[in-house]
Amino acid sequence: MNDLVTQKGIVIMTKKGKNGHAVLSKDEKKRLRRKVWNRDKYLVYMMIPVIIYFLIFNYLPMGGLVMAFQKFKPGKGFVGIFTGEWVGLKWFRRFFKSAYAWRLIRNTFLLNFYSLIFGFPIPIIFAICITQIKNKFLQKGAQVITYLPYFISTVVVVGMMTNFLSPSSGIINQLIQKFGGEPINFMSEQDWFRPLYVISGSWQSFGFNSIIFVAAIMGISPDLYEAMTVDGANIRQTVWHLTLPMIRPTIVLLLIMSLGNMLNVGFEKVFLMYNEAVYETADVISTYVYRQGIASTNYSYAAAVGLFNSVVGFALVSIANRVSRKLNETAIW
Amino acid sequence: MKKRMLALTLAAATLTATALPAFAAEYDGSAPITDEEGATVSMLATNSWYSTVDMNKADVVIKVAENAGVTVEWNMIDPTTYTDTVSPMLAAGTDLADIIYLPDLDENQTYINSGMFEPLDEHWDLMPNFRAYLDEHPEIEASLTAQDGHVYYVPVVGLPDNYLPCLMYQTQWIEQLGIESPTTLDDFVEMLRAFKENDMNGNGDTTDEIPMSIMSDFLPQMFGWAFGMDLQSGFYADEEGVVHYGYYEAENYKNYLTFLNGLYEEGLLEMEFTSLTRDQITERFANNITGVTFDYSWQMSQLYSTQFVEYDPEVGGIVVGVEPLSGEYQGYYSGTNPVKGIFGVNKDAQDLDLAIKFIDYAMSEECQTMYAWGIEDLSYTVDEDGNFNYTEQALNDNNWLQQVGINPPNLPYHNDAAATDVLLPTWHVETDKKLAESSHSPWPFIYATEDESEEIQMYLTDIQTYVQEMHIKYITGAESLDTFDNYLSTLESMGIEDLLAIKQGQYDRYSGK
Repeated sequence: MNDLVTQKGIVIMTKKGKNGHAVLSKDEKKRLRRKVWNRDKYLVYMMIPVIIYFLIFNYLPMGGLVMAFQKFKPGKGFVGIFTGEWVGLKWFRRFFKSAYAWRLIRNTFLLNFYSLIFGFPIPIIFAICITQIKNKFLQKGAQVITYLPYFISTVVVVGMMTNFLSPSSGIINQLIQKFGGEPINFMSEQDWFRPLYVISGSWQSFGFNSIIFVAAIMGISPDLYEAMTVDGANIRQTVWHLTLPMIRPTIVLLLIMSLGNMLNVGFEKVFLMYNEAVYETADVISTYVYRQGIASTNYSYAAAVGLFNSVVGFALVSIANRVSRKLNETAIW
Repeated sequence: MKKRMLALTLAAATLTATALPAFAAEYDGSAPITDEEGATVSMLATNSWYSTVDMNKADVVIKVAENAGVTVEWNMIDPTTYTDTVSPMLAAGTDLADIIYLPDLDENQTYINSGMFEPLDEHWDLMPNFRAYLDEHPEIEASLTAQDGHVYYVPVVGLPDNYLPCLMYQTQWIEQLGIESPTTLDDFVEMLRAFKENDMNGNGDTTDEIPMSIMSDFLPQMFGWAFGMDLQSGFYADEEGVVHYGYYEAENYKNYLTFLNGLYEEGLLEMEFTSLTRDQITERFANNITGVTFDYSWQMSQLYSTQFVEYDPEVGGIVVGVEPLSGEYQGYYSGTNPVKGIFGVNKDAQDLDLAIKFIDYAMSEECQTMYAWGIEDLSYTVDEDGNFNYTEQALNDNNWLQQVGINPPNLPYHNDAAATDVLLPTWHVETDKKLAESSHSPWPFIYATEDESEEIQMYLTDIQTYVQEMHIKYITGAESLDTFDNYLSTLESMGIEDLLAIKQGQYDRYSGK
């Protein structure tokens, strides 16, 4: 109750109690509640679809995780999920015994790790650069051009890559040959898979991801900049001592959220890009789950591998959150 | 006492009711299958492979339902995504159609064991057409009979030896070289070298010729046989009936890889073979820059030869199928099992009898004629001797004929050799008849028992992943053949020996040992 009183926008006469906390009469409490409700109700309404979405698509299906501990038979419907033969940790044991467990975990982790290392700073740097542009037209133009690729479907992006990188007809390889090099079969060489995945992913998303940082930078009071200028700071110092510290909470928040996706690699892009020749670096947990589950109908096994993936992902985000709270006093929960 | 009598009578009544299904006497295999107004059957199946054809609107499909006197509620899904779409639907098992085209042949009896589909042999009285067909084709009945002795599925039947994928040469180039068309590996390599070094298309540039354009999926069946292995099925039995796994053959498979690696190193097998598509190959023929491909027989006259302006179907083909390559061993083309696809009847169908009768009618002779020839007077005519002939339009416009609905993938059709032959130019039919003699029967279709299927599922997917990966790596030299012994021992540790023992058991069961 006490918290509500301090919330912005609600002004209410209160008496102070013994310990200095506000003491509200029943009537006042009621009034307060109504006031808060009247002020916030549209926000609550707006949240309803989101809540329903999460219930239906994220919480309800969790019931199906039971499959990971059972021998699932198809065709039994929702009831079948709960009546299958119980096999305990059999599928998990099988996964860790399989020849691919380590490779899948490594690939999934590394793809995300590199995407994070190379992909995360770029939008921040870009946002800082773009907010320095004083010409509004130029600024908006640059922003639009860079975030448009985000809306190109993955299929098209991978198609473009295949074409540009083709060893016989691709423009990149023709350039390499012009300069006297040997053509490189980019899409079929395992050492090239990760760079291609990370670079194309960054290219596609950095403009879009920078929007949040641009907004955060715009939110910094101009007074502070003025003060910096008065104190004789140059651009480098302004960025280092003002802009970056001010957007630190945003950066940390987004970093924690991407850590949560650490084992959650985009299935369709890997699936479209990979072929047998690059399995060594490209095969990830989700593509393996697809091959085992949908293509080979080992549903229980696939569910177990998927569950393992989620549990590790959850552990990672919890750790990141904890570390962040200790170091930064910023945390999601 | 009275109560007990009543109960007995009721029980007896129920028994008779199940033993003698309604309409049983009325349906004799010919249309209409019901006289009920507004009878409906729902069906889940694939749509046409042709992107310009919608089976929902195909004349044949409409006619079958109309004759049967039922409304068919179709749910047709694009064939390229059929497995991915339908497998989860079947796994969920709710709200399914009455008749379902399965995404695979259910070799592991996954669906049979889960009891989703009605055993059809308990309804022979409702399936006179199917019963008659099986009586005529005992080998198909044998392969459709599950481990528990029931028949669950109605098949789509293909031609096991005709119009298989085969090797094709650009005949103009061969004539130019003045050589016999090669049938051995050595001659073949010589020819590829000649293609590479000479200006075959006569445009003054000796470097633009790509000797061979092959999609990587076809490599195993193109070269495997010449090294004594059926790499297409993977598993195969030798003359003594011992089952082998081609990718686990210490000597033959290594020779095969050495050969292909040699082709790759020399540039005769291009760098891009892992990502090559049919469209790219077509384009290459259109530009006359490639001399060899391997693809479905159908494509030689319908796709590749037509890329040449000078092509005249009356005279002969330009991209023409040739006999399989032989090496140390006799070469073959990989035949197919006659059962190409299966339809099951959902146990929870709204009207089980009606669904069974419909699928039975859909495979009757009357319907097979429509599947092969289309609609009388529209796409074919019958002369006074009873011979079938396509109409002008059907012969000239294949796309239109597909739109009429021949060989509908959403109904249990049987490929008809005679009807296919008249569609194709004479040179193609003659080539096919010749090549059909060098087809080799594939690994037979055998249902797995429940124990077997569990073991198979445990090992097979991982083994296949590993094998495919190493296949490409050894060919491109990304992995040196010095590590071949490691490869074999890895396969062993992945359980290949156990898998071979299972397959041996299955094969012995099949061959009646």
